[in-house]
This record gives sequence, structure tokens and C-alpha cells, in this order.
Amino acid sequence: MKPPPFEYTAPTSIPEVVALLQEHDFEAKILAGGQSLMPLLNMRLARPSILIDVARIPDLDYIRATDGSIAIGAMTRQRSVELADTVRTSHPLLYATTMHIAHPQNRNQGTLGGSIAHADPAAEYPALALLLDAEMRAVGPDGERTITATDFFITYLTTSLEAAEVLTEVRLPLLPPRTGWSIQELTRRHGDYALAGVMATITLDGGGQCTEARLVLFGVGATPIRASNAEQMLIGTKPGQTEFVAAAAKASGDLDEPLSDVHASAEYRRDLARVLTRRALAEATANAAGAA
Amino acid sequence: MAIDDRPGITIPNRIEDLPTSQARFIGRTVDRVEDPMLLTGRAEFIDNLSFPGMLHCAILRSPHAHARVVSIDIAEASRAPGVLAVLTGEDCQRWSQPTPTVPEGWGTYCLATDKVRFVGEPVVAIAATNRYLAEDALELITVEYEELPPIVDATKAADANAPLVFEDKGSNVMLQRVFTWGDVDGAFAAAAHVFTETFRWHRLGANPIETFGVISQWDPIENALTCHGSFQSQYHMALARSIVLGLPSNKVRLMSQPHGGSFGGKGGARGTDITALLSRKIGGRPVKWIEDRMEYLAGGSSQSWDRHYEASLALDANGTVTGFKVKLLDDLGATAEGWGAVSAAKPLAAFTGCYAIPVAQYDLTIVATNKLPGSPYRGMGPPPHNFVLESLMDIAARELGIDPADLRRRNYIPKDQFPYTIASGNEYDSGDYDLALDTVLEMSDYQKLRAEQAAARAEGRLLGIGLVNTIEPGVFDWNAYAIVGQPGTGVPEGATVSIDVFGKINVKVGFSLEGQGQYTVLTQVLADYFGVELTDVRVVPCDTLSAPPHFGPGGSRLGVSITGAALGAADLLRQKLIKVAAGLLQTEPANVELMDGKLQITGVPGAEIPLAQVAGAMIARSDLLPPGVDPNAEATYAWTATGRTPADDQGRAKSYLTAANACHVVLVEVDRETGHVEILKYFIADDCGTRLNPANVEGMTQGGVAQGVGAALLEEYCYNEDGQLLTSTFMDYLLPSVYEVPMTEKKALVTPSPFTPLGAKGVGEGAMHTTPAAILCAINDAVAHLGVRATAVPASPHRLWTLLQDAKPGG
Amino acid sequence: MATPRTITLSVNGTTHQVTVEPRTTLVDLLRGDLGLTGTHVGCEHGVCGACTILWNGKAVRSCIMLAVQADGSEVTTVESMAQDGELHPIQQAFMEAHGLQCGFCTPGFLMSISELLTRSPDPTDEEIKDTLGGQICRCTGYQSIFTAVRLAIKKLADARAAGGSA
Ligand SMILES: Cc1cc2nc3c(=O)[nH]c(=O)nc-3n(C[C@@H](O)[C@H](O)[C@H](O)COP(=O)(O)OP(=O)(O)OC[C@H]3O[C@@H](n4cnc5c(N)ncnc54)[C@H](O)[C@@H]3O)c2cc1C
Ligand code: FES
Ligand code: FES
Repeated sequence: MKPPPFEYTAPTSIPEVVALLQEHDFEAKILAGGQSLMPLLNMRLARPSILIDVARIPDLDYIRATDGSIAIGAMTRQRSVELADTVRTSHPLLYATTMHIAHPQNRNQGTLGGSIAHADPAAEYPALALLLDAEMRAVGPDGERTITATDFFITYLTTSLEAAEVLTEVRLPLLPPRTGWSIQELTRRHGDYALAGVMATITLDGGGQCTEARLVLFGVGATPIRASNAEQMLIGTKPGQTEFVAAAAKASGDLDEPLSDVHASAEYRRDLARVLTRRALAEATANAAGAA
Repeated sequence: MAIDDRPGITIPNRIEDLPTSQARFIGRTVDRVEDPMLLTGRAEFIDNLSFPGMLHCAILRSPHAHARVVSIDIAEASRAPGVLAVLTGEDCQRWSQPTPTVPEGWGTYCLATDKVRFVGEPVVAIAATNRYLAEDALELITVEYEELPPIVDATKAADANAPLVFEDKGSNVMLQRVFTWGDVDGAFAAAAHVFTETFRWHRLGANPIETFGVISQWDPIENALTCHGSFQSQYHMALARSIVLGLPSNKVRLMSQPHGGSFGGKGGARGTDITALLSRKIGGRPVKWIEDRMEYLAGGSSQSWDRHYEASLALDANGTVTGFKVKLLDDLGATAEGWGAVSAAKPLAAFTGCYAIPVAQYDLTIVATNKLPGSPYRGMGPPPHNFVLESLMDIAARELGIDPADLRRRNYIPKDQFPYTIASGNEYDSGDYDLALDTVLEMSDYQKLRAEQAAARAEGRLLGIGLVNTIEPGVFDWNAYAIVGQPGTGVPEGATVSIDVFGKINVKVGFSLEGQGQYTVLTQVLADYFGVELTDVRVVPCDTLSAPPHFGPGGSRLGVSITGAALGAADLLRQKLIKVAAGLLQTEPANVELMDGKLQITGVPGAEIPLAQVAGAMIARSDLLPPGVDPNAEATYAWTATGRTPADDQGRAKSYLTAANACHVVLVEVDRETGHVEILKYFIADDCGTRLNPANVEGMTQGGVAQGVGAALLEEYCYNEDGQLLTSTFMDYLLPSVYEVPMTEKKALVTPSPFTPLGAKGVGEGAMHTTPAAILCAINDAVAHLGVRATAVPASPHRLWTLLQDAKPGG
Repeated sequence: MATPRTITLSVNGTTHQVTVEPRTTLVDLLRGDLGLTGTHVGCEHGVCGACTILWNGKAVRSCIMLAVQADGSEVTTVESMAQDGELHPIQQAFMEAHGLQCGFCTPGFLMSISELLTRSPDPTDEEIKDTLGGQICRCTGYQSIFTAVRLAIKKLADARAAGGSA
């Protein structure tokens, strides 16, 4: 299990990265924390001719509270997110999401940007990005652009980043007041990718009515999936078991054929999506009520 | 009390009988002598070794489960940078033999010749200046295959039209036999109740964190082979190499390096042969091969126990079990290499568990399929067998409305009936099963657990209690495997004990570190025997040509047998020292005894000489040496269990010497909606006779629980219908982590063996025998009222979810 | 063959300048060229943790990190722990609590635990579990490792109280 030969370069600026990507086109691979890319290299399942290590670019590693969101540089290690006070206090959902990713030894290397760019359908950060309508900033030959999460995740391990684009920042909106959240996953072993996972937020008004519901299912399709129809069913209700059950049935019923692999059939994943959605909505609602 | 092991040798059966007024080390937890080296990263694991001129091997493996090898083109690879040798099946045909197997004749060459029989089978091997270059060169090899239909489903392997793994055999059935012990038909006909169920145990395996590794060097002048490797049993491996490579046995020298666990699944025969032949091909440069994890998972000694069971239990009206029948279809994979069918034979050593079941039957069919050949794994055969027996006990208890603890108690072998011969022929040395049961019931507060379960169920939660007791057969003997064609009775384990002129003690043995702490045990035994400090004893591992007869770890035997070997050698040495001391003390040897590190005249205070002085005189003062004594303060003893009997026509033999027993209670919660299982509490009472080092035993037990949890819930090798392995990395083959393994509460019971050195019993495997069964029984206890039954291992969430889809509503 | 690169890194306080192929993993550099074989390899895909080392003080998998990524960094391996023939308190605790059997996984555990106890000298059980969760041990079943961590915490606290430097 030794990687195939490749060239390596560690540019120190974003324009250099873009130039290198242009020069090598699909032959080049960006290396961030390597926690997804390196296993693929060791197994010789990825064969780039050159690796572009973006770890030495200053200014890609930061966590900034901005108006209404947290802006995180693409090269920020997951562990930095976990340990940042700002994250724990202002964005507990981001903190909790981070703690679901692998183990400290992987989070010390793995980056937030790498996870988003890798776009594993079972990964937590892409699901969170979709849940919160996060904005991805990317720089390419034509300059910088912002891509919303809905437009970002195309299919399995594929994003709308162009071959010569580099992800530079992810902006994750803070939760509105009176909002509760929940992450529900079924993993066979702690720290593994989930067989199925659900993230939800519920916002209640003073009278306990749902003003906003967000629901993302992950690990069940080719990308994380926003369950918009189920969200709509909750808005305007005083959500309780009946609503949770109905919304969960809708969310899972709306899924196209879910993934099927050695650990879970499509049928099982669909049912997990239903069960976990119901649980997530219940927990998020309870938390929202508590936050009110 | 002493067991007179062989004429002229006295081996104490109790710690109190050692020549010391108070044993200071043995029977106590002491710091392990192995640890400083391991903790500082200085142990010489195989991949830490390097020799001048050494090359690195990489292996091209079959992508197909079953295919004819049409052609192999190695031209480009041979010219690749750094490549010095390329080995193919043709070389193997020229220079070696197919590997010996049990049963005979189901082996292949170490590289594929005419066809490949499983995904991951080695096809071409390359030696290059480093591993990176060797792997690069593999990509330049072209192999043309003609795919053949594979046989993957064992239940179809015996069908008339099934593809044949070995065409010359005319069938995929490697072995088929029915062993009947007593009037089984009569017992089942007369039974008040008969319970029958089918069970499935899916493939899983050892996965030590260190894979196998070896460095082989062929001497082209002498035609001799030297290998360093992470061999679990170097001697056995050396013998087989001599056969396969056509070398006289004394031209094969194997040295086992410390290794990172084995659990039976280290393997390495093919890798050793491949590197040996590469070294031969390159004119004698050493060649190293370190199996990587993906090679291990797909092509190593990683997979065990792919089993389909149908079993029945007969009971009379009082809940006494009167008969037990097991029909096993064992899917051994493509060949019977390594230990092949041996693991299907081992259950005979404890076929009826803790119970006095008078008659039994084992209907055994072993088939070949196009999957990785099966390997040994901790416990060998009984873990699946125990899962079957204990599940049936629970089924019977539930159907008859008897508490599972009570049904078991009714059927225990009473403690006054030991030594007890079970239906399948083995003899249990000693035990007190009621005591273990009572102990664990009390520890777990069993009635309270039942109340907890009832309360949870009222809330709609599924809690279940598993209570399982098993026997761990310890100290294996080859006669146990006669039924699958393994010859021999007796497994000698030797030690050479010497004292140097300064009174320091060395003990030479034929095995290396593997994790169980045997060097510490040896050190404890000898320090107490000779009245010295632990630091005065040093264990010296020797290679196959310099060690006394040995087998090494395996079959829960080494703790007992190496203690026997050390005590035997110590006794022989003591007898020599007494003669020398008698001369020095000017008395008759009969008046001299060894006690607390001194040789003294019995009953004469002060008439004593320290051990070091006697040894010193023996070696350095020939003028003082009595006649008939050589100037060598050294003795060798090879211990083997006495009283072993060859197997009869139904495979019955006194095989395993000891029968440890354990009783586990586990509380689990099953998530009714997701099928996920959580272990909430775990209690263990276990009895392995005298504990030579209690912390070692605890470690073996807890480690076995962890592997048992893996087996019960997580670990499984999945093949698709084309014979492709779908769980080829550690992302999919799931070893349990600290989150999945319960912290257990344990209690030690001590019923010494009357037959063994210091009364110890084999103990390396017990928890693995018990934990999977206990967890499955707990799961069924949680879901039985829903009208479903879990009968497959591992009980993955998907499997349980599927099962629970059929659950009775509202249960 | 790709262009070799010359890198400089400090390993256990010693600065090394080495020329490596870009694809060389950090663990292969440490174990090969630098001869520091205490760091082990169990899977080469980031799961088992046998290869865990400290990279600028953080526990990471050296099997899925390239040597070139460590250019200019400080790397710490198990070889740094015992000083002057004395085991480090964490190693001592492992020995006393029987936190190892075959010892193959142990260097990785030691590295992870030293990061934890440096950052959080008095961790909660959950923090300990989070750290151990990323290290697989096939032998011990973790119970004695957990005990060893608790014992190490005590030893380190005692050493601090006594003004020691450990
Ligand atoms: C044992 C183990 C368990 C894991 N478990 C989980 C888990 O439970 N949940 C989870 O979400 N993840 C898990 N992961 C993966 C996670 O740790 C990775 O960190 C993450 O998926 C990728 O981040 P990285 O920084 O390591 O990216 P890399 O591996 O370096 O890169 C991943 C991909 O993204 C591209 N890329 C990286 N950065 C950029 C950028 N700035 N612009 C454009 N493209 C870029 C790379 O070219 C590459 O294709 C696990 C990994 C391991 C080894
Ligand atoms: S060897 Fe690096 S994590 Fe397993
Ligand atoms: S002690 Fe052997 S793997 Fe941990």
C-alpha cells in the first residue's frame, strides 16, 4: 500500500494554486489534510501527477465570527474548529457536528475545506453546509465566486468547483434565536461514517409554532439531501409526535433509491432515514422549546 | 503434592510445593518483563529488522475468484527501476511443492499456476530495492485470465453441477463424516422435547494489529534457508517449509520475532515460501515481505469460521438434556492450507459444554469454495459451536418456561464427578460450575437485572440478558485433530534452564513475544524456584535449530506447558546441583535440599551454600566436581501432557488436558427501530485453576471479550456472488473500539487442575468462547417476545432490523 | 520517477535534513531513513492508529501524511518519552496497569495520550474515550488502557506537585 509516484508542490499563494491547477488540469490534486486523499493514494485508487499542498498558504486557516455567520478558512483543521471557543459558544451545532467526524487524530489533520470539497455523501460537514445554506467561496482563473450549498454538491464526491478552482472559505450562518437542533446518526462503530444521518433545526415562535424547519439527510444518497417537503409540513404547526412522524415519513419517502452497500440495503437506509428524522425533529423541537 | 510427570522428574502441582518457604512472584501480579522494551518501541518486530543487501517484495494478486491463468507477461516489470527478481508459478513448480494440508491434497503452490481460486491469491511476486518500486513494477505485469464460474455459496458447493475448486478431486467436498457418541437416535426418540434451529456464523477473523512479515535468505551454496518472521509457531512453520521447499529439515532455520499479536491468524506460510524462492532466484540476497492490511484482509490468515449449522437438543420432562446433535457445513474456502479443517474438529474437546449430556452426534461436512482459505482464530472451533449450544439451551429454557440459569444448573456436570469424560471423548480435569453460576448471578444482581428489563419493556424498550457458560479446553494435543487427518499425540514444549557462574539464570525457549506475557510467567516460576529476583532471570528466545523441542503459543497451552517445561528443567538442574552441593557440604545427596535459593542439609540449620556458589563451583572447579556430574549447570526438559490417548474410530480421545470454565452475564439494549445493539453491563466469573499471574489472566479475558464483541456485532467478511471481497479495508471490516467494548466486572474462581504444573489451566481463549454466545443470547432475550429469533453472527444492525420487520406488532 | 525534495524537520529535538521522493509517507521516513522504528504500521489507511505521532504537538496518523508535509515541522515519536533510562510516567502507568499485551499498538496510544494530557491534564472520562476511540488495540479490550490513563494522570499530577518536570 504505497502511493504511486507524483510530483509535489507547496505554493504559498492562492493565485499560484490556480495557475498550477490550470497548468495540470485534471492531473493535479489539491492536498489539504489528506485524511481522505492519502488513503486513496496509498491504495492507488487516486493517481494525480502532481499534488498541490495548500497547507502553506497563509490566510486559509482562520475562524472568524462575522455578522450572522462564522467564516472558516478552507485549511482550518477540524480540530481547530472543535477547540475554538467562538465555535463552542456561538455555534454549538458546528461544534457537535465536528465531534461526529472520525477521531481527534484525524481531526488534527483533516480540514473543514477538505471535507466540503471531498463531498462524501455520508460526511457531516457537507450535510451541515446544506442544512445552514452555507456559502462556499472559491477562487479560480476568473477570480472569486460564492457558491451556495444547494448548488455546490452535485453528486457522489463531486462538487460544482471547476477543475482550476480552489475552495477558500466556508461561511456557516449562525442559528436564529429560539432554534433547537439535533444530529442523529447510526454508525456501526463510533467515529465511522454514518450508515444514515439526519440533521435538523427547528425554530419556534413565542407561542411554540414552528417558523422555520431545516432538515438534511445524509449517507442515504449521492449527496446530502435537503428534505424541503418535510420541512414545509412542519412550518406553521405546533410540532409534536404526529407532525414528526408525518414529516419523517415524507422525508424518507421522498428519497430516490438510497445507497446500498455491505452495511445497509437501500430499504434499510430509507427506514433509518425515517426513524432518525423523527428523532431529530423531536430533539430539535424540544431544544427549541428549551431555548425559547 | 506433586505430579510425577516422568520417572525421575517431580513437577509440583501446587505453588506451595515449590522449593521456597513463601512464593514471592508466582500467583501474583507483577510488572511484566516484556513491557519496558515494548513501551519504548524497542522490541524487534519483524519490520524493524533490516539486513545488508535486503530486497523488498510485493505481490500481485488475483482479481478473480476463479479463473484460468492463460498467460503472464513479466517482461516489462523485470526491466522496471529497482527490480531484481520476478517470481511466477513456473518457478514454484520447479522449486517447490504444493503446501501440505489437513485434510491432505487440498493445497496449491504459493503462487498460482494453472488457475486462481480466490480473489487475493498470489500470482506474481517481485523483489526490488524498496517497496514503493516493487509496487510500481506490479503495475507493469500483464496476466491474461479466462474467467470461470466461481462457487461462492457453500450450500451449493456439493451440487452436481457446481464449479470445482480442484478439478482433480471431482467434488468440492473436502471431508464428510458423522461422529456418533452413544444411542443418539434412541435419546431423541425418547425425548419429551426436541428443539431444533439453524444457525449461521459468518466469516470473521483475527486481525492482529501487526500483519505478518518475514525476511528470508536462501543460501545458494549450502542450499539452506534462514527466515526471520512473525511466526506464531516457528517450529511447525519450519517443518512445513522443509517439505514445501524440498530442504532437509536441519537446513531450515526459522526465528520468530516478537510480534504484534496473532490470535491464530498470523499465518505467513505463503509469504515465507515466496520470499524464500525470490531469495533463491536472486542468488541469496535477503528478501523482506511485510503483508499490508489490504493483503491481510483479502489474502492473509484473516478469515475464519464460515459456518452453517443445524442443531437439535433433546430434553426429558424435567428439563434434563438427554441428547445433542449438530450438523455443520463448514466453508473452508479455496484450500485446506494452514490448519485447514482442524478448527472444525476442536469442538470435540468440549462438545457438550458444561453439561452432562450423555449422547451426542456431529455430522460434519467441509467444503471448498472460491473464497480465501480459512485460518485459525482464537478459540479455533468452539466459539461458533458454543453459540449454537448455548442458543439452544436458551430456546429450550424459554419454551419450557424455565429460567435460563436454572436450566443450565440442572444440567451441569456435578463437581464431585471430575475428572469427567464427555460424550465426545475428552476428559475434563476439574471444575465447579454451580459456583461460577452463583458467583455471576450474585455479582450481576441477576434478579434486579430482570426487574430492570421488565421496567424497560413497560416503556417499550428492549433490554435483554444473556447468561452463558462455557468450557475452555486448554493445552491442546494433536490427537484432538485425528478426525480430520492430523497425525500425532503429544505436543512437546521445551525449556533449557541454566545458571551461570555468577548465579544468574537463563532460560532458552522456542517462541517469541506475542502478547500473553509468557516470558513474565517463566521468570516468575524460575525466580521462585531458585529463590532469586525477577531481574536475575532472563528468557532467551532461540531459533528452530537451537531451541529445545517446542510449539509455542496456541490452543491455550503455552502458559501450562512452558511452566511444566521450566519446572522439569529446574528439577533436573536441582538434582545436579544437589550432587555438587553434597560434595561441598561433605554429605550424601539424599541429605541435601534446595530451599529459598540455597542448597542445605535438611534439618541442619546453617549447613547451607548459596545457589550461585554451587553453580560457580560446578562450572569453574572441576577439582570439586563429584564423579558422574558434568560441569554444566544446565538442564533441558520438554513437557507434554501425560495420559493422552489416541483417538478411537469415533474420534474420541483424551485430548485437551484442562477444562477452564466461565460464566458471563450481559445486559444489552436493542434499538427496536434501527437494530442497533448497545451493551449496558457485563459480568464474568471465571475459573482457570491456579492463576500464575492474575493480571495476565484478566488481560486475556478482557481482550477475549473485545474480540467477542467484534464477532457478535461488528466483524464480517462479505463476498458478493462473484466472489469479490466487499470488506477489504478497516473502514468496512470493523474492529471494535473503546466505545463498543464494555468495561467488565470480573471475579476469579480457583479450582486447580489436579493434573498440571502448579494447577494452572489454559486460559487464552475463554472469553472468545463465551462472549459471542452471551451477546446473541441477550439479544434474543430482548426480542423473543416479539416472535423473532436472531440466529446469525454478527448480529449487525441491518440483520436485526430485517428480523424486527417481522416482529409481532405491539410486543 | 518524481523529483526528490529536500526537507528539514526536527524529530524528537534533533534536526534532520533528508531528501525524499514526494510520495514517501512520514511513517516510512521515520522508520526507514531515520531508523525510528518505535512508530508502527497497522493499516496504512488511517484507521488503526498504530502510526500515531505528534506533529507540532498534535497527534496525527503518520501513515496518511507525506514526509514532505512535515517539512519545517516538529515531530515527536515514542522514542522521545523515556529519558535517562527512566520510563515516562505514562509509560510507567501502562506497565503498572497492564495497559499492553503485544505492545504493537502501544506507541500510538502513548502519543495520543500524551497529546491529551498535555492539553488537558485533568480530562473527563468522555475526553479520554474520545482520544482512545481513535486507537485500535486488538489485545487488551481497552479496560486496562483506560485504567493506565487514569493512573498516568495521577502520576503526572504528583510529579507536578513535587515540582518535577514530567
Ligand atoms: C479513519 C477515518 C475516519 C473518518 N471518518 C469520517 C467521518 O466520520 N465523517 C467525515 O465527515 N469524515 C470522516 N473522515 C474523513 C475526514 O477526516 C477528512 O478529513 C475529510 O473528508 C477530508 O478533509 P482533508 O482536509 O483531510 O482533505 P484531503 O484528504 O486533503 O482532500 C480531500 C479532497 O478534497 C480536495 N480538496 C481539499 N481541499 C480543497 C480545497 N481547498 N479546494 C478544492 N479541493 C480541495 C482534495 O483534492 C481531495 O480530493 C474520516 C477519515 C478517516 C481516515
Ligand atoms: S497505520 Fe496509520 S492508522 Fe493504521
Ligand atoms: S496490545 Fe496488542 S494491539 Fe494493543
